[in-house]
Amino acid sequence: MIARVTQATVSRQLLGSVRQIERRLLEAQDALSSGKRLRAASDDPAGAALVNGLRAQSRDLTALTRTINFGTAVLGAQDDALEQAESLLVRAREIAAQQAGTLATTASRQQAAAELEEIERGLIALGNTQVDGRYVFGGLASGSTPFTAFDDPGFDPLSPYTGGSDPFVIRTSDASTMRLTTPGNQVFGASIAALDELRQTLAAGNAPTASIDTVATVAEGIRAERASVGGRARQLADRASDITAGISRITDRLGDVEGADYASVVTELTLLQTALQATLASGQTLQTSILDYLRL
Amino acid sequence: MGILDVLNAGRTGLLAQQRALATTGNNIANVNTPGYSRQRTILEAVPSGGGYGVGVAGVEQIVDEFLESRVLGQSSSAAAATARYELLEAVQRLFPVGSVSVGGALQEFFAAANELATHPEDLAVRTELLERARDLAGRLRDAAAGLAGIQREANQRLATATGDANRILQRVAALNRTIAGAEAAGGTASELRDQRRQALGELSQLLGVRTVEKANGMVDVFSASGLSLVSGGDAGRLEARLGTAAGLDGAALHDVGVVVPDGSLISLGGDPGGEIGARLTVRDADVPGVAADLDLLAVTLRDAVNAVQTSASGRDLDGAVGAALFAGTGAADLTVVLTDPRGIAAAQSLASGDNANALALVGLQSATHPALAGATLGDWFGTLQARVGTAVRGAEDTAAMEEGLLAFASAQRDAVSGVNLEEEFTELIRFQRGFQAAAQLISIGDGLLEELIGMVR
Repeated sequence: MIARVTQATVSRQLLGSVRQIERRLLEAQDALSSGKRLRAASDDPAGAALVNGLRAQSRDLTALTRTINFGTAVLGAQDDALEQAESLLVRAREIAAQQAGTLATTASRQQAAAELEEIERGLIALGNTQVDGRYVFGGLASGSTPFTAFDDPGFDPLSPYTGGSDPFVIRTSDASTMRLTTPGNQVFGASIAALDELRQTLAAGNAPTASIDTVATVAEGIRAERASVGGRARQLADRASDITAGISRITDRLGDVEGADYASVVTELTLLQTALQATLASGQTLQTSILDYLRL
Repeated sequence: MGILDVLNAGRTGLLAQQRALATTGNNIANVNTPGYSRQRTILEAVPSGGGYGVGVAGVEQIVDEFLESRVLGQSSSAAAATARYELLEAVQRLFPVGSVSVGGALQEFFAAANELATHPEDLAVRTELLERARDLAGRLRDAAAGLAGIQREANQRLATATGDANRILQRVAALNRTIAGAEAAGGTASELRDQRRQALGELSQLLGVRTVEKANGMVDVFSASGLSLVSGGDAGRLEARLGTAAGLDGAALHDVGVVVPDGSLISLGGDPGGEIGARLTVRDADVPGVAADLDLLAVTLRDAVNAVQTSASGRDLDGAVGAALFAGTGAADLTVVLTDPRGIAAAQSLASGDNANALALVGLQSATHPALAGATLGDWFGTLQARVGTAVRGAEDTAAMEEGLLAFASAQRDAVSGVNLEEEFTELIRFQRGFQAAAQLISIGDGLLEELIGMVR
């Protein structure tokens, strides 16, 4: 309690009040125009650390989204390749069944051998499928085609694979990874050998009786791999939707921590404007002095 | 009592009221003079036996030394808090909340590492990772350079502040001599005392002081640690002298102290208060503390990334063990020394599509480090940012509180010593009426004398 109030005290207090209100007005206007409650760490130090952590999580999830999109493309390409491989093997089995029959002749078998050569070429081409520069059946090797071309002098139907023997693994979350590919020899090795054996049997004009079951077995292997690819694609799709949900959760959380609450900011702005007007009005009444009442 | 006594009473009344009017006028004229203390004319009746009338016993200054010293101390604390807040705020600006910061660059670096783990053979992805590493190192260097700049600025301002303080010390010593001279001759030196109080107020904003008034009216001034700054009519000398301690930029920092006769410097001590104290604290404790935390981040990042990059099982695109990616001794000189994107060891085999080592690199993002008190690199930066934020918040609150306390102390001082116009005008009317009455007394005395002389005729 100040017992004796002087003009200096009153004007100092008025000036102090006006400055304080104007500073808070500036902050409220800044919050309103930036849409942010947290504009510097000092606005909410703990919140700033939290924002930093949330942004890092969000950035990592965005990066993972790219990885998962690539993974989905690779699995999609594998699925397409395996589907085509499956139909090639179905056709090969048909040919084997036809040419093993009593109606087949040496000439028809040699003709069929030519078709089989195309099927074999097709299967090898599928084994060399590429997505964004990566051979999806090449294991970790990515510099050259994992399967030797059919016309290559070094082509050996029993070991056509030159790719890597380890699968390609991608990051799917902060703490987990997933196998994306299977090395091509495990996928197509048996099929190529079976097709080549069938082709050679036919070219020699013999009945490919044994090949009917062999081709059916390798086709089964391709179907199994395709099922496995489908399973991994589903895992990735689940992970992708988890990530989308995660990003939107983080965005909400960031909004809570650093976003301005418009309703309360606008209310505060209005209150501050009123306070400023009132303070300035009280300043006007201060101009009243004893001089107004004295006739000197 | 004779008629002449009436005239004499009127005459002394006129003179006394005139003097009181002059004092009141002086108060009114100084209503806005900083540091001015109001004055009051002390009137006293002419003692019985000495005749009739009124005399002026003196003009006193209404001052409460206790309140004055409280304002002095409070203006020291307020100036210190404001200076500290301003400097820390500048530190905070080096670590903005948002993506354009060390934290954002760290996130981008790891996002690029993740992309490398997805496309280990892609040269564009490798180049991007090197770019992000350069950006991260650049941001750490910028922050470190910013801290060094703030420290240097605080240091330079110490030199300016000691110069200002010396001028004030000289003025106080000169005023001491004049006041002692004037008061020894029996006069009052109210205005000079106001000037001295004003000078001490300015001094206390620069550094905390204690004052002791002596019987001869001189004031001795001491620093917070008890060093003599003004002794009677002699002023000591403060100096900011290049010391042995080096700043973050490697150049020497100033030692601030009082120069003693043999030319050596006695330090003002840990926190001498005022702006000088605040700048010393920010320069010697706050800024180096943040810089050390930042260095720890830079060194841990360098070691962790280099360990993955140069691990014996790691292989670059040409099948060789990788070379170090970062070099430097701290945040200030952290650079990316790996220039060839093929040199990034993303693989752990000779296969170009191998991403095993790249996965280890991304793994650093969530790895905790004992050197960082068990925090991840990102969390450490978040904590650093929060620590700076807390310091700024604390300094801001302290500054607001100290300003409030200063306003209150000033209001209390003004309640005693300040000029109130209503009061002064009331006094003006009182003395005006007194003057009119005294004039009337002389007029009546004159009338009485005329009556008397008329009777004689």
